[in-house]
Amino acid sequence: MKFSIDDLPVIFPYDRIYPEQYAYMCDLKRTLDATGHCVLEMPSGTGKTVSLLSLIVSYQQQFHPTRRKLIYCSRTVPEIEKALAELKRLMAYRVECAESEEAKEKERSFMGLGLTSRKNLCIHPGVAKEKKGKVVDARCRDLTNSATCEKGRADPGSVDLCDWHENLGKMEPGSLIPPGIWTLADVLQYGRDQGVCPYFTVRRMVNTSSLSRPTCSWPMQMPFVDVIIYSFHYLLDPKVAEQVSKEMSKDAIVVFDEAHNIDNVCIESLSIDLTRPMLDSAGRSIIKLGDKINEIKITDAAKLQDEYARLVNGLQEPSEDDAEDGFMSNPLLPDDLLNEAVPGNIRKAEHFVAFLKRFVEYLKTRMRVLHVVAETPLSFLQHLKDITYIERRPLRFCAERLQSLIRTLELNRLDEYAALQKVASFATLVSTYEKGFLLILEPFETDNASVPNPVFHFTCLDPSLAIQPIFERFSSVVITSGTISPLDMYPKMLQFTPVVQETYPMTLTRNAFLPLVITRGSDQVAISSRFEVRNDPAVVRNFGSILVEYSKIVPDGIVAFFPSYLYMESIVAAWNDMGILNEVWKNKLIFVETPDANETSIALENYRRACDNGRGAVLLSVARGKVSEGIDFDHNYGRAVIMFGVPYQYTESRILKARLEYLRDAYRIRESEFLGFDAMRNAAQCVGRVLRGKTDWGLMVFADKRFARADKRAKLPRWINQYITETASNLSTDMALTLSKLFMRGISQNPDENQTGISLWTLDDVLKAQAKQRALALEAKEEEDEFGNGDFTDQMLIDLDI
Amino acid sequence: MPTTTVNAPAVYKKLSGVLELNDTHLQWVQDGKKAPSVRVAHADVSALFCSKEGAAQVRLKVALIGDDTGHSFAFTSPRAHIEREKFKSELTPIVARNRTTAEVAARAPVVPAKPVPVVKPIATPQRPLISQTPSRAVSVSSTEQRNVTIIPGNDPATDVRLRKTILMSDPELGALHRELVAISGQLSEAEFWEGREHLLLALAASENQNKGKPGQMVDPRPETVDGETKIVMTPQMIHDIFDEYPVVAKAHRENVPSKLSESEFWTRYFKSKLYHAHRASIRSTAVQHVVQDDPIMDKYLEKIDDELEPRRQRTDRVELFVDLGATLEDHGETGNEKDITMIAGRQRGALPLIRKFNEHSERLLNSALGEIPAAKRQKLNTDESYGQIDIDDLHDPEASAGIVLEMQDRQRYFEGGISNSAPGAEAAHKAVDTKTLILNAKMHMEDWETNLAELKIERKAGDTALLSMTHNVAARLEVKARKNDIPEALSRQMTICQTATNEFLRQFWSSMYPPAAELQVVATATPAQRAAKAAKMVGYLAKTQEKVDALVFMGPQHGVDPKRIEIAMKPVLNAVHRALAFHQTKTSKPSQRG
Repeated sequence: MKFSIDDLPVIFPYDRIYPEQYAYMCDLKRTLDATGHCVLEMPSGTGKTVSLLSLIVSYQQQFHPTRRKLIYCSRTVPEIEKALAELKRLMAYRVECAESEEAKEKERSFMGLGLTSRKNLCIHPGVAKEKKGKVVDARCRDLTNSATCEKGRADPGSVDLCDWHENLGKMEPGSLIPPGIWTLADVLQYGRDQGVCPYFTVRRMVNTSSLSRPTCSWPMQMPFVDVIIYSFHYLLDPKVAEQVSKEMSKDAIVVFDEAHNIDNVCIESLSIDLTRPMLDSAGRSIIKLGDKINEIKITDAAKLQDEYARLVNGLQEPSEDDAEDGFMSNPLLPDDLLNEAVPGNIRKAEHFVAFLKRFVEYLKTRMRVLHVVAETPLSFLQHLKDITYIERRPLRFCAERLQSLIRTLELNRLDEYAALQKVASFATLVSTYEKGFLLILEPFETDNASVPNPVFHFTCLDPSLAIQPIFERFSSVVITSGTISPLDMYPKMLQFTPVVQETYPMTLTRNAFLPLVITRGSDQVAISSRFEVRNDPAVVRNFGSILVEYSKIVPDGIVAFFPSYLYMESIVAAWNDMGILNEVWKNKLIFVETPDANETSIALENYRRACDNGRGAVLLSVARGKVSEGIDFDHNYGRAVIMFGVPYQYTESRILKARLEYLRDAYRIRESEFLGFDAMRNAAQCVGRVLRGKTDWGLMVFADKRFARADKRAKLPRWINQYITETASNLSTDMALTLSKLFMRGISQNPDENQTGISLWTLDDVLKAQAKQRALALEAKEEEDEFGNGDFTDQMLIDLDI
Repeated sequence: MPTTTVNAPAVYKKLSGVLELNDTHLQWVQDGKKAPSVRVAHADVSALFCSKEGAAQVRLKVALIGDDTGHSFAFTSPRAHIEREKFKSELTPIVARNRTTAEVAARAPVVPAKPVPVVKPIATPQRPLISQTPSRAVSVSSTEQRNVTIIPGNDPATDVRLRKTILMSDPELGALHRELVAISGQLSEAEFWEGREHLLLALAASENQNKGKPGQMVDPRPETVDGETKIVMTPQMIHDIFDEYPVVAKAHRENVPSKLSESEFWTRYFKSKLYHAHRASIRSTAVQHVVQDDPIMDKYLEKIDDELEPRRQRTDRVELFVDLGATLEDHGETGNEKDITMIAGRQRGALPLIRKFNEHSERLLNSALGEIPAAKRQKLNTDESYGQIDIDDLHDPEASAGIVLEMQDRQRYFEGGISNSAPGAEAAHKAVDTKTLILNAKMHMEDWETNLAELKIERKAGDTALLSMTHNVAARLEVKARKNDIPEALSRQMTICQTATNEFLRQFWSSMYPPAAELQVVATATPAQRAAKAAKMVGYLAKTQEKVDALVFMGPQHGVDPKRIEIAMKPVLNAVHRALAFHQTKTSKPSQRG
């Protein structure tokens, strides 16, 4: 379908379009034109990603020579892969639609890539087998860092090199991979076929700092790629962003899709935990460093001398090849980066090692305290200074200095130094920020534990800190999701002013989904996951009977979500002993989310097979867990979603308490308001995964009496809330079952009414809507003129009087 | 007689005799008698019980579906134990099969109440079954034999059974079959089924559908009887346990009977830690420390799988769209640890239980579908991968490429059309002069108000229209009101006559216009055969008039107006006449030509 919004020709890869999608694209265009930020909420499953890409690519292609790049961030790898597939199909469609050969060529040269970790992209047979991403990273660096490469090339066979990486070096930069859209799986396949490293192919295509810097003086960033798709962290986490996203040009369009949890990602990227084993490991690393320094002093003293000289001059790191050598960077945000000389007392390698040793010892002493301590970074620094005479300034350079040292020493197996790197990052962060952070020392895991297992939390309380540089640097930032209600919460928490802020209702010719709130069992006992009653046998049984009854009447897949792992585990065990699961086994297979990601993936795969096969299955999972993010349960994979309880966070958590307090003081967001908002966005997120497209259907069951409260429901996205009827908001199990049966009987009928024109637009409908809009705009303008005239108003007043 | 597979001397109700198990039945024949006095079809066996190992009598009890008391046999020969084992091993799979069938039947009440015996496709036809059916299949003349519908992969016996099941489940079809095939013999069996193959195929398909294992996990729970804790074991349960826990099967293989006797083995198993580890219960982990050690059983004990990472690591990569591990490894770990409620594995014993569920489900799935080939896992980026992101209702269903009309000399046709109509078209173009059109329309529209006001409808015409409508409704109401006043007997005869004639008509027309070839399972009849059949049918059809006349004649005897019968049978007669006329012209044409 081809139409134009204002003067922008848009190519949309389907024959029809939902009205929501059209409205969404119009608002998006408005944002891009105004070069501002926006928050858009669009019902789940109505093709948000495709509308977004379709508009932005049209926008990019329209202004060809000065194409604004697109940085598209999503949360999970499955979502990234889906977005890439979506883009690939869109471009194929655009090529098909292009009229002239020239235009076709223009579409074909459009380049889109996805970036993920080495672990996910490695094809080196030995390295790829490693289970932990950290180990893969370290081993990869050992094989590919510039020093090793130099040695290996000078004297083949002396050191191990990665063939795939070497092959890449022989190729012309910028033509490592033919233009087009490459999904992660495509890139992997290409790497295998051509014998090149997929990870570095993408990295070099995206980020050619090392190649462009010496020769190019103009800011030509991301020169070869038009769209890059990666996860939130690559932009928000300063440790990663430094390496990957530093070079992105300022007029790039940044999209955060599935951004309902963006505040948590922001907070996570600036928070650090230290434990005793970590400090022990850091201590060992320091000793190793010391030995290495002594060794080098004898063999190659000049090296250390060079480093010292460099640090005196205050030069930044020598970055011959960032992509390969970057292993850890400053956890600070770009605007905090210092271009000054490293302080004198840590310039010498052995001094720095001694400095680190003292700092780690100090932290170890702190951990011996047996009561909870909460303090601000300032008070921590003061105490530190009083005890160890460590000043704030050298502490700030800790991370950078460590990086320089490790590079100078040409260390291998960096994963063994992970703990030390963490300590250094901690040191830098704690000495940089005064506001918005808190240090919490928890000596015991639980309140009634007697064996200490101390954890030192350095926690960020203010999500706006991490995202602020993004808003400042990029002119257009789009924050979008299916569930981002209430809309004004996000600008408040993230401290920005959107130019467009919109939520779209879902137009349906017949109700494709049925939200139900079950507040009590068939025996009229109120059900709730409230802490006091959640283990009450009556509640457990009533929850169980909801599952049993729905497993009887719903075809194919049912997904059930619990508020926490703890609750899921206890309730699964209780159900099993009560014989409830035996009833479920009769109707469906049971799969349960486990702590191990791969194990859960296999369970998920089997779940899908069972749904495809018609046997049907139940998947039990956790509302904030792995499954609830990024896995879709559309069509037969989820005909019903049951939300057992309200997914509140654990309110006894000290970190959460601190954050609530901060939100209250800094942004005037009340604790209960934030908790309710957080619970409902997670509930809505779980429940919203059942739909894709308007012919898909599903049941959404909210099983907790607290969902019946109007203030709770008001926090649900509008498109869900608008379909909760008054009767459906307070049901007992048997009533809900009757309604569900009725709904399923209705929805299984062939829809006889034509959706076109109402919830589905053809090209004609789009044109009609545009004409109407123009007419309205004209009218408004005329009215304005008339008002300006003044005569008419008087006339009207006279008419009114009569 | 079917071949006997297993037999042994056994006592039943204190009478000695021989117990036999053959392909279809379990039967017991009293000594000196020929006919079996107990005869149980395989499909009826619901459970199996044995007396204890070492008990005075070696007994085997068979419970039947709908009759739990069942039959109890005692083996008498010196080799009683071995013989019983033989029966047991033969019967256990049968019981297992029946259970699944019963389960399915219980879930789907549509299936006829009498469970259909599961018959494996056997090469040799089973005579006894054929003789039971009232069909004429055997007596069909050899020329028509080839017409008997045989579903591929089925032998005639199964086919007969399928037909019987269909006729029994559909009374109307059964009556028709009885009337035409069994009693009057007007149609052959093959002819009757021709065009109804889909019924047979559907039934065969539904019967051949693999019934999966029932979902429940095997969980022998102890029952307390008279203060004594007991676990009742059936051979069936043992079978299930071996299936679920291969390690128990291994233990059994290695220890029975060399080290332990059968019953000892199970007693020890249920007392051992092994059993408690296997019990799908949260409490079992607590019991574990109370249970005493067992030197034999504890050897097979595996470590409890309650670490965060599973003991059995699986490295096979899954499809990227569901790969949760990829997300986990997408970026370095950040942030503070999760709060205590979000850390998995805090509830003791829950993780092994959860893993057991996942494994059990996977095993069930694999038993039905087979393992997934590794290649299929990463089926990304084939065209179907768009299926996962596609929104299907956004495609325009009408935009699909239509079927191109194949035409000979298409070009010439179109060109010819153009050249022919060219002058005319030009004239038409000329005629369309928008200005005059609008003017004309305007002229016509002038004074429309007065015209409308002047419009008068003739009263008489309106009245007659209304009257006729009323009559029509009244007549229909009348018909409806006196619908059922034809006596039962006569009405049934009329129905039979009508359905029979319909059947003849169906046969006739299908022989005139054979259905599309791909629908046929067997080769279609040659034209000559079809003609012969049509002639035969015409013969039957010609008699319809007589039959109807007879019915009309019978009318007054039952107190029914013969006119009404005539009216009722009129459509049938019309159809028959049409068929006859058609046949007439069809047959006479070639003769004229010749």
